[in-house]
Amino acid sequence: VAAVALLFLVVPSSPAADDPAGAAREMARKTLAFTRGPVSLTFRNFSSLPDSQLGPIRREMESALGTPDATPPTEARVTLSENSSEYLLVEEARRGDESRVWIASWKRAAPANAMAAEAALDNRLVWEQDEPILDVAFSGEWMIVLAPSRIAIYSQQASGWALRRTIVVELSHPLPRDPRGRLRVTGTRVQVLLSGVICSGTLDGEKFACQESSEPWVLDSGGRDLLLASFSASRNYFDGHVVLQNGSRKTGPPFYSAAAVQEASGLSWLLATVDGNTRVFSSSFDSVASIPGWGSDIAGLGTRCGEANPVLVTRPGDTSEPDSVQAFTLANHTPVPVSSPAPLSGPVTALWPLTSTSAVAVSRDLATGKYRAYVLTLRCGP
Amino acid sequence: VAIAAVSAATRPHYGGTLRVEIQESIETPDPPQSGPGMADLSPAFSVTRWEGGRQATYSANNEAHGGRPFLESVEIQMNRPPRDQAIDLELRRADVVELAIGEVGRGAAARKMWVSAPVRLLALQFTPRVSDPRIREALALSIDRNAIHNVLLQRRGEVTGALLPQWISGYAFLFPTPVDLAKARSLVAELTPPARALALSYDDPAFRNIAERIAVNARDAGLAISVGLRNAAADLRLVEVRIASADPSRALAQLSVALALPEPPADALGSPEELVNAERGLLEGFRVIPLLHLPVVYGVAPRVKGGVGISPLGEWRFENLWIEESRP
Repeated sequence: VAAVALLFLVVPSSPAADDPAGAAREMARKTLAFTRGPVSLTFRNFSSLPDSQLGPIRREMESALGTPDATPPTEARVTLSENSSEYLLVEEARRGDESRVWIASWKRAAPANAMAAEAALDNRLVWEQDEPILDVAFSGEWMIVLAPSRIAIYSQQASGWALRRTIVVELSHPLPRDPRGRLRVTGTRVQVLLSGVICSGTLDGEKFACQESSEPWVLDSGGRDLLLASFSASRNYFDGHVVLQNGSRKTGPPFYSAAAVQEASGLSWLLATVDGNTRVFSSSFDSVASIPGWGSDIAGLGTRCGEANPVLVTRPGDTSEPDSVQAFTLANHTPVPVSSPAPLSGPVTALWPLTSTSAVAVSRDLATGKYRAYVLTLRCGP
Repeated sequence: VAIAAVSAATRPHYGGTLRVEIQESIETPDPPQSGPGMADLSPAFSVTRWEGGRQATYSANNEAHGGRPFLESVEIQMNRPPRDQAIDLELRRADVVELAIGEVGRGAAARKMWVSAPVRLLALQFTPRVSDPRIREALALSIDRNAIHNVLLQRRGEVTGALLPQWISGYAFLFPTPVDLAKARSLVAELTPPARALALSYDDPAFRNIAERIAVNARDAGLAISVGLRNAAADLRLVEVRIASADPSRALAQLSVALALPEPPADALGSPEELVNAERGLLEGFRVIPLLHLPVVYGVAPRVKGGVGISPLGEWRFENLWIEESRP
């Protein structure tokens, strides 16, 4: 076997094909030049592509080479293979003592950049891109996508979202490795909150100004309840200094995210603290309870589910694991699940309230590495 | 619906020291600037302490591209034997340790590991004084790579007859790995009895079993191979070469240099077909006999978070890791 294999002659190459069909045609042309007669073809798949991808290749080659009648003098094995940058079609042809190897290749295509699909569990994919997505907001026909270095404004077209403007955010210092950002949109006015930077402008105007700022971020919960919180500029969390709606300043533990929950007993603030717990604070910001086992991102919704308004919660875990978001309400400061977990294909990197019934969740897809923004809509039962 | 009882947050934490142990002892006055491992830490981390052959400390760089790493520092202990590393991981005295390929299977289900793509070529390399190609081919035809892979390596890595692994080239399957004892014996029969004796050296004690297995296979073909650790007078060596690039042409050029084979001209490595031709040319004459492609494997403590800390090539990618301390 070794001797035969070593006699294989690899013929000089030709440029890469455009696609599998082009590669198959190139193979067939070379095979015909070698055999000038019928060929018995066998196929196998060593690539990550599904076996069904061999169908068109097989048809293309069989159509060019014809179907052998009896035992043909030439046998050819075609292997669909791949490396990190290309797919390869490798043909090993043998006629008597003569052997040939041909390889045709085509570039691995990048997946489509944006897509929109309706998913189960009120989980709707609205945008996908390579760069991290920090937040997504909507206003009328507009969609705003916040990335660490730019703000992209899209308008709704019949064919999907069309890019209208890109505003590059110039930063004097690098953002933290786990960058956070928040969009606040009122009509056509947009405020962008980043670590140590605030930008503001209008969707239809020319100017969009950014400046370094230590102003606190406004944290809402899809309703009337607001909290002003100072973001730690070189880290990925709020430093614990907050201002309540009545103007009183309070200091709590550093936290990643916050949500207001209206229980039967009144307003509570939930803080997902950096120690891995979620702490429950009363309306006067006294710590009253602790909830273990939630992830670091929570988002309150303004709508009511029964006696309380719900909070969306990520799952605890590592960034190498799939994540999920689940809705809870509180009863006597104790979490009560009100939905099944909505699974996401990677860790949640951002979760912000959007409307009274919905939130934006961004996850990094573990298979593709792309960031995917979803609108999670909660519909409470009757 | 039950609430998960695991207490861990998804978002990364800042702070903490990652404790790494390696077997290699780098006894240079300055830290390495290239090669796998410590050199990969730059520029996200900068070296702040260097004791060649013993230990090194790298600290997070505030101005790192993509933001300051979450870890405060990385401490590397050098010259740690594999067994000590495994114990330190078990006792939580280390966070990241190298796992010898034979160690990988033990308790693997309960162990957190980072496994690279197969990037370590294990091959036999003949010295120039073994000039008769028949003895080299006879040995190549006698080695049962599948038995080594299945039994000694617990199916880790890939059997190969090629220099480049399949994931880099896409055509490694074109290089067969046949066992043909009949042909091997007929080649050996043409040799004089003194020419049938060879000394095989292995550099890494972890590969002793493999070297001995090769000697057993060779005996079946009529060759007498004696096996020794780091034998400078050996006729052939069991060598490991770490592949440093996922680009097939660069990787092939690197391997040819490392294995003292004639480096193919760069302009002859443009297409897959040219690469196959070049690789066939390098392996012609059996100066080098590729055996296996193995991954780089690290054992990792449960408190290390942030996903896999190595690239497919096994390069250290620690800037996105963080330490999850135990919760109250």
